[in-house]
Amino acid sequence: MIVNIPAATRPPAADRGHPSAEPPTPTDGERHRRRSRIRTAVEAYVLLAPSLIGFVLFLLVPIVGVVVISLFDWNLMGSPHFVGLANYREMAGDSEVWRAVRNTVYYVVLNIPAQTVLALLLTLAMNRRMRGGKVLRVLFVLPWMAMPVALGIVWNWAFDPQNGVVNQFLSLFGVDGPAWLSSTAWAMPVLASVNIWQYTGYTMLFLLAGLQAIPESLYEAADLDGAGPVTRFFRITLPLLRPSMFFVLVTNTIGSFQMFDTVYVMTQGGPGGSTDTMNFHIYQQAFQLFRTGYASALAMLLFALILLVTAVQVVYFRKRTVYDFS
Amino acid sequence: MSASTRRILAGAATGALLLGLTTACGSSDSSSSNGTVTLRYAIWDAVQKPALQKSIAAFEKQHPNIKVKIELNAWAQYWSKLQTQIAGRTAPDVFWDHVAYFPQFAQQGVLTDLTPYIKADKLDTSVYDSKLLSGWQQNGKQYGLPKDWDTIAQVYNKTMLKTAGLTQEQLSGLSWNTTDGGTFVKALQKLTIDKNGKHPNETGFDSEHVKQYGLALSSPNGQTDWWNAATQNGCKLQDKAWGKWTINQPSCVQAIQFVRDLRLKYHVAVPASVTNTPNGAALPAVMARKQAAVVWDGSWDLNAYQSSMKGNFGVAELPAGPVGKGTVYNGLSNALYAGSSHPKEAWQLVKWLGSEESQKIIVATGSVWPGIPTLNKDFVTVWQKQGVDVSAFSKEAGDTTIGYPLTTSSATYNVKVQDAFNQVWLGQQSAQKAADSVNEESNAAVK
Repeated sequence: MIVNIPAATRPPAADRGHPSAEPPTPTDGERHRRRSRIRTAVEAYVLLAPSLIGFVLFLLVPIVGVVVISLFDWNLMGSPHFVGLANYREMAGDSEVWRAVRNTVYYVVLNIPAQTVLALLLTLAMNRRMRGGKVLRVLFVLPWMAMPVALGIVWNWAFDPQNGVVNQFLSLFGVDGPAWLSSTAWAMPVLASVNIWQYTGYTMLFLLAGLQAIPESLYEAADLDGAGPVTRFFRITLPLLRPSMFFVLVTNTIGSFQMFDTVYVMTQGGPGGSTDTMNFHIYQQAFQLFRTGYASALAMLLFALILLVTAVQVVYFRKRTVYDFS
Repeated sequence: MSASTRRILAGAATGALLLGLTTACGSSDSSSSNGTVTLRYAIWDAVQKPALQKSIAAFEKQHPNIKVKIELNAWAQYWSKLQTQIAGRTAPDVFWDHVAYFPQFAQQGVLTDLTPYIKADKLDTSVYDSKLLSGWQQNGKQYGLPKDWDTIAQVYNKTMLKTAGLTQEQLSGLSWNTTDGGTFVKALQKLTIDKNGKHPNETGFDSEHVKQYGLALSSPNGQTDWWNAATQNGCKLQDKAWGKWTINQPSCVQAIQFVRDLRLKYHVAVPASVTNTPNGAALPAVMARKQAAVVWDGSWDLNAYQSSMKGNFGVAELPAGPVGKGTVYNGLSNALYAGSSHPKEAWQLVKWLGSEESQKIIVATGSVWPGIPTLNKDFVTVWQKQGVDVSAFSKEAGDTTIGYPLTTSSATYNVKVQDAFNQVWLGQQSAQKAADSVNEESNAAVK
């Protein structure tokens, strides 16, 4: 990530400990300042270079590559053929693509609200001094640190209809659990629940940081005014969590739209295409059907979709007031 | 399109598409300063790896300047990885080839024509089964030497068969039909037991709580399940080699319906929710868990059954269908990558793996039937010593067989058939509908 350091926070050039045995004359000082300004810029660019090179090489070039490839018909091995916008035209009439879009949106809708509300509840529960609080916090974040592919395999076992722990647990109560991952109705909720379980702790970390930045004095004032816990939550906590909430919602939504590993490991888009999300569909077109051009066009569609949703989120959050206590 | 544009596109594509999706597969420079060359050899079957390692150890002893590194990638990822490696020009020097993908590779020029090498070394190719050898030819060029052959048969649990009062001969002599399932379904009913000890043909049978099933079937493409039933019903899969798919013809759909009925009507086969690929239990695992008494599986898995069942298994012929006996006959080859930077050494490896000497080593481990037919009897002997009669595989190879479909649309067929037929086995789609959709989509991809 590229961080732009605002000019105001840069240390003034004169403070930077240049050998100044004799105070420089005004003109000397100007020259000095200009020289050190150049030097600061050079230093900045030297520091930025690694991430800038990485950005150009691994992000900008591939993105441009995808745009270009989306205009070709190419199976990775032979010569690419220029086809203009044919891939995009095909996409518009491809019912599997729109099923993938629907599946992806369904997944995001299952995932984000549940994950955010759960994380918020966890945050409120964790935001107090209690025995073992730190241990619990680590435990909640552990799933996020684990490998998604390994997790997918473990959850596959857990949701196995006959030998899985989930159905064995349900059978204790006399419930015959369904064949989770073979059911077009259950497969997607199962995938979403695995991801909710995985990322709730991570979301909680950000909300917890946001919560702890809210000045205690506001709550004290609210107490004096006789506000109850519900009022305090909706009038103080939630509005002041908005910056954290914004960050969490935007990044998690983007991440959900790009979900791939869990589908790949647990369902391969099945059963009956019910978990065929955009990213999995792109993978399948590119690396199983070897239609690289078409897959690139689909990648552009996913990009546009994410851009649109993110833009809506930005507009929504921007028109709200931002509180600054710094 | 100029070569440089293509190179830029290739670079950009591999960068863009691989970055988030696959782990980096670094290509190391394979020659070192002291003159040793390291060859990369890609395979997809973990069960066969130990046998290959033995053969390669012997090869390395004969060629002290060549080292061979086996790269194992499961079937589900093998072709994706290989094709991206080819695009990035980092494909392994030698790799397992399959007729499903061979035609496209040969057309794209990524395989080395072995004819000049064969001529220069005066290699006698008449030792191979001509059916296998010609499978790797295109336009008079030879793109691989036969590694092995395989058919599908019934692998059974000896104890379970005995308990049900059945013998291997009886199991080999069964037949099925579309009206009442025939003697095949009757035998499977005997082998299927619910938690109260009842069989599916008895009143009070609890199909929700079955302790042991008669049969387990599983296949990502049909090779180890319905293609065999289809052949036994006179279904041809294609109108001709390189032609159109015909899997929605009545003879094919009836066979698909029969396989579906084994699970959903007769309740004698393990439910699809357990065995559907790619995430279901593998057949050797189903047998190891004692969930089924019989499975239809390929000869390449024999060692998997040996390691989990320790000799308590046997091999019987597939049943006969309305039209007669039938199975899928196929084999693999070792291909030489056209972009290999050590073609001479890679040819030495290909030649070795096709040689009688190497295939003898493989046969001695009981891994796969050899590409050289004179060694078939040795394979039978090896398994006889373990108490397993594997002759059903070779008996079937001599009966009616169907080759693996030859088509340029394998990739599309493989992707479409898996999801559509999984739905059929689950009872969520009709045999006819699934066959129609897969047929149409696969034919659209025929070039």
